[in-house]
Amino acid sequence: MTAVLHSAALAVTAMGLLAVLPAFRASGSIRSALAVLLDFLTAAGLLRLAGDPSWDSVALAAAVIAVRKLVTTGLRTAGR
Amino acid sequence: MEELLPESVLRDAVDLMVRLVEAAGAVIIFVGAVWAFARFVAAGARGGGRSRTFTGIRLSLGRFLALGLEFQLAGDVLRTAVAPSFTEIGQLAAIAAIRTALNFFLGREIAQEREEIERERDRERDRGPGREAAGARPGTPPR
Repeated sequence: MTAVLHSAALAVTAMGLLAVLPAFRASGSIRSALAVLLDFLTAAGLLRLAGDPSWDSVALAAAVIAVRKLVTTGLRTAGR
Repeated sequence: MEELLPESVLRDAVDLMVRLVEAAGAVIIFVGAVWAFARFVAAGARGGGRSRTFTGIRLSLGRFLALGLEFQLAGDVLRTAVAPSFTEIGQLAAIAAIRTALNFFLGREIAQEREEIERERDRERDRGPGREAAGARPGTPPR
């Protein structure tokens, strides 16, 4: 199950990277496109946390979520 | 009680349930990501300027993530039924804390984006009749 979850997480990361361009075209702002990428990266982190997580994957997921939160807050503040 | 329900049987049953619940959560997150990706690609192909559509897609992705997280949290709660070592309990606490915090932040973001959509809709509604009136009589001076 862990291998499947890791493959799924990788696929979601790739989708996030690919979705940045269409998201930029749809929204017209790089801020929103970056937020989309961070959403997909969070989804990948959550998929990695399912199954039998190790301390490394827990730390990685926490780091991704912390960075995501920081960037989202930063972008929101900069947008005002 | 020990003879009626041996600990090994309980452990196996809980393990199976945890796997099922976590798999359901993972499937929900993956399906949400694929669905959002397809919608983003379609919205990108149609062209820009539709910020409401874009926010709507993000909102749905956030909802999928929150739902998947709820399933994973349910798995964590089930796991607490049998946690043999302190290391496992610590890991469980860390993961549950991360998931709970993320669920909280996701919920807040979803509420904020929903407000944004509502505000945009209100603005469009306010702007709508004025624009129609101006379009109906282009030469008339404003009263």
